[in-house]
Amino acid sequence: MVTSIIRRLMQAMFVILAMTIIVFIGVSVIGNPVDILINPDANQAERARVIAHYGLDQPLWMQYLLFLKGLLQGDFGNSFVYGRPALGLILERLPATLELAVTALGIAIIFGLPLGLYAGLYPNRISSKLIMSGSILGFSLPTFWVGLMLIMVFSVELGWLPTNGRGPTAEVMGIQWSFLTGEGLRHLLLPAFNLALFKTSLIMRLTRAGIQEVLPQDYVKFARAKGLREQRVIAVHVLKNLMIPVVTIIGLEFGSLIAFSVVTESIFAWPGMGKLIIDSINLLDRPVIVAYLMMMVLLFVVLNFIIDVCYTILDPRVRLDAKA
Amino acid sequence: MTAKILKRVAFMLLGTIAIPAMVAAQEAPLTIGMSTTPTTLDPHEDSSAPNNATSRHIWDSLINLTGTSSNEPELATEWKPVDPTHWEFKLREGVKFHDGSEFNADDVVASLLRARDKPSQGFASYTRNIANVTAKDPLTVIIETKVPDPLLLNSVSRVRIISADCKDAPVQDFDSGKCAIGTGAYSFVSYAPGSNLTLKRNEGYFAGASNWTNVTLRFLPDDGARLASLLSNEIDIIETLPADGMARVESSADLQVVNGQSSRFVYLGMDVSRDKSPFVKATDGSDLDKNPLKDERVRRAMLMSLNRPAIVERVMQKNGTVADQFVAEGYGGYSDKVEKVGYDAAAAKALLAEAGYPDGFSLTLHGPSGRYVKDAEVLQAVGQMFTRIGIKSKVEVMPWAMYSESYSKGTYSTFLGSWGVNTGETTNPTVALVATRDEKKGTGRYNGGGVSDPKIDEVLAKASSTLDEAARQPLLQELSVETFDKLWVLPMHYENVVLGAKKTVSYTPRGDKYTLAYDVKPAK
Repeated sequence: MVTSIIRRLMQAMFVILAMTIIVFIGVSVIGNPVDILINPDANQAERARVIAHYGLDQPLWMQYLLFLKGLLQGDFGNSFVYGRPALGLILERLPATLELAVTALGIAIIFGLPLGLYAGLYPNRISSKLIMSGSILGFSLPTFWVGLMLIMVFSVELGWLPTNGRGPTAEVMGIQWSFLTGEGLRHLLLPAFNLALFKTSLIMRLTRAGIQEVLPQDYVKFARAKGLREQRVIAVHVLKNLMIPVVTIIGLEFGSLIAFSVVTESIFAWPGMGKLIIDSINLLDRPVIVAYLMMMVLLFVVLNFIIDVCYTILDPRVRLDAKA
Repeated sequence: MTAKILKRVAFMLLGTIAIPAMVAAQEAPLTIGMSTTPTTLDPHEDSSAPNNATSRHIWDSLINLTGTSSNEPELATEWKPVDPTHWEFKLREGVKFHDGSEFNADDVVASLLRARDKPSQGFASYTRNIANVTAKDPLTVIIETKVPDPLLLNSVSRVRIISADCKDAPVQDFDSGKCAIGTGAYSFVSYAPGSNLTLKRNEGYFAGASNWTNVTLRFLPDDGARLASLLSNEIDIIETLPADGMARVESSADLQVVNGQSSRFVYLGMDVSRDKSPFVKATDGSDLDKNPLKDERVRRAMLMSLNRPAIVERVMQKNGTVADQFVAEGYGGYSDKVEKVGYDAAAAKALLAEAGYPDGFSLTLHGPSGRYVKDAEVLQAVGQMFTRIGIKSKVEVMPWAMYSESYSKGTYSTFLGSWGVNTGETTNPTVALVATRDEKKGTGRYNGGGVSDPKIDEVLAKASSTLDEAARQPLLQELSVETFDKLWVLPMHYENVVLGAKKTVSYTPRGDKYTLAYDVKPAK
C-alpha cells in the first residue's frame, strides 16, 4: 500500500514536471502576455519596465529555473493579470467548482443508477426502451446548447429559476458556499442539471450493459438455485460485480467535472475554476495556467488512487500491491 | 371594549401593510451587467477599462473625465499652471472618505505617487511626466512635471484618490474591502472576484447622493448569459448588447436599446515602408518588384472600394459609425478640412489602373477575432470589396493573444487595428499609430505600417509641449489633415456603445464605453 502510494506520487511528479515545461514553451510560442496586459498608451521604456517586472526579460530557461526555485519554497508565483499569488486565486474559486461538480455527480448517480438498473433488469418493457433512447439524447446534445435552452425555458420564459451566477452564499469555515442558502440552491439547480445530463446517461448505459453481462453468469444462476431472494441476488451478487466499471467511470468523470466544466461555468456565469483557466489562457497568464494544471494532475492521481481503493473493497481479489 | 380591540387590530394590520411599502419606496436597487471583468479593485494596479470603470464607483479623481473627454472639477475645484512645469490644484473642502475620515492633500500626494511608483507600472503612461507631487497646504497640491505637459489634466483624471492610510496596502487589501474606501458615490459592501461587486449609496456624496440605494455590478463576459439576465428581468442594464439579441430587445415592451458613439477608432493599417511587403504578391502569386501599398493612389483606391456605410449598417448591425479621421466632431483635433472618401468602385478601379495596377494584385489581410466589434466579419467584407476592384484578398484572423504581439511590429502587410482615443484629442492616436517609430522618444509603438512622415513628427512634437489650448487646437487639427490626406491608415469606423436596458432607466453612453451607475437615471 505504502509503496504503491509513493510510486504513484513519483509518477505524478514526473508528469507535473513535463507538463510545466510544455506550458512554459507553449505560452511563449503563442505570444507575449505583456502585449495583452499593457496599457496601449505606454511607451517603449515603460513597456520594458513592465516586462522586467514580470521577469519576462530573462531567457525562457532562466524563467523556468526561477519558477522551479519558487516552487521548492511553495511559491507558485504571482498572476500577471491579478497581481496576486496564483495558487490563492485558484483555491478561492475551488469551492464554487466543487459544489457544482459534487451536485452534478450526485444527480447523475441518483438518476443514472436506478434507471440503468431498471432498464437492465427489464429490457423488454417499453419504459426501459424509452429510458435508453432518452439517454441517447443526453449523450448527443451539446452541453452549451442544452444550457442555453434550460436558461431560455426555465429562466426567461417561465421565470422559475435565476439565469446565472451563484446567488447569495453562506460562509462556513471561511469559505463561501451557495448550497447553504435557499436562493443559492436555486442558482445551483440549472447548471448542476446541465452538467449532470451527460454523466447521467453515461452511468445509466454502463449500468444497463453491466447487468446484462452479469445476469447470465453462472454464479447468478447458482445464487438463484440456492433459493436466495431476488432482492439479495441483485443487491449483493449482481450489483457488486457491476460496480467496478461504474466506480471507475464515476471517479474519472468527477475529475473531468472539476477540471473541464468550462462550458457550463461560462454559460451560467458560475465563478469557478473553469472560467478562471479560460480567462487565463486568453490573457496568457502563465503562473495561473501552470498552477491550475499542476493541481489537476494531482487531482487525477489522487482520484485514481481512491478508485483503486474502492476496487479492493468491492472485489477482494483485487490487491493494490499486485496491481501497481 | 371589543371596539377598542378591533381598532387596535386594524391599526396593527395597517401597520404591517404600510411598513414594507415604505421600505420599498426607499430602496432603489440597480443591477448592471458588465461585459468585462476587472482583475482587481486596487485602482492603481492596472489601467484597463474594466478596472477603471469599476474603481470610479468607489473612488473619485481630482478631475472628472466626462463622457466626451472634457475635464470637469471633481475632488479639485480649480487648477492652473503656475509655470510651464508646475500646476496648482485647489481641493474641495469638507469631503469625507466612506470611513468618515477627512480628505486632504496628503491623500492626493500619496495616491499620485503610489500610481506612479507601483511595480506593475499600470499607470506609467499617465504618470510618466510627474516629477513630484507636494502639498502646499491641506487643500492645495502642487504637481511638478518633467516637461511641459498639456495632457496632465487628462492624466490626473485617470488616477483615483485613495486614503493615504492605504498607500502601502497590497492588492489583496483592496479586494477584501479593507482598503476599498474612497470618497466616491458608492461605498464597498462585498466583492466576489469574477462574479460581482455590491455597493451602497454614499449619502454624503459631494455631488449629491445617487438615485440608487444599492448597486450591484455583475461581471458577465458571456454574451448569452448577459442577454438572458436582461431578458429574464434580473438586471436593469447590460453592456455590449449582443447583436443577436437586438431584435428581441427592440420588440420587447419593457426593454430598450441604448446606442451611442464611442471614441474607439478602427482602421486598416498598411505597410507603407518596405519595398517588398511579405503578404503582397502579383495576382499569379509571383513577387512584385515594388510594394503597391506605398503608392498613395493605391491606398485611396482601396478606401474608395470600401462601402463603409454598408459595413457599419449590415455587417456590424449598426454597432458602428463611419469614420473619416481619428476623432469625431466635437473632440479636440477634429478637422472639417479632411476630405471624406466615398464609395465608388468604378473610380477605384480607374485609380488603381492609373497607379499601374490595371489587373490588381493579391493581398492577405490580417486581423484579430473576437477583439473588436465583429472584427472577423468586417475583415471578410473588406476582403470581398477589395477583390471586386481586382485586389485578390485572402483573410486571416487569429486570437488576440497571438495577434496583439505581431500586428504592432510590422509583421503584416495589411491589418485591422483599433485605438481607443483615451484623451479625446488627436495627439493620443498620432503618437501611437502614425508617428515615426522611435524607442527613445517613445513614439510609434503601434505603428505597424512603418509610417514615417516628418511633418507629422514635427507638428506632434509642437502640440505635445504647447500648454496654451488656443495655440494647440490648430496643431491638433493639422495632425488629422496630414494623416488622412495621405491616408497613412485607412479610416474605417468608430465602434458604437450599445447597451440593453429596461425602459425604467435612462442612460447616455460615454465615449470610453464605461458604464457608471451614478450616470444611470430613473426614466421619467
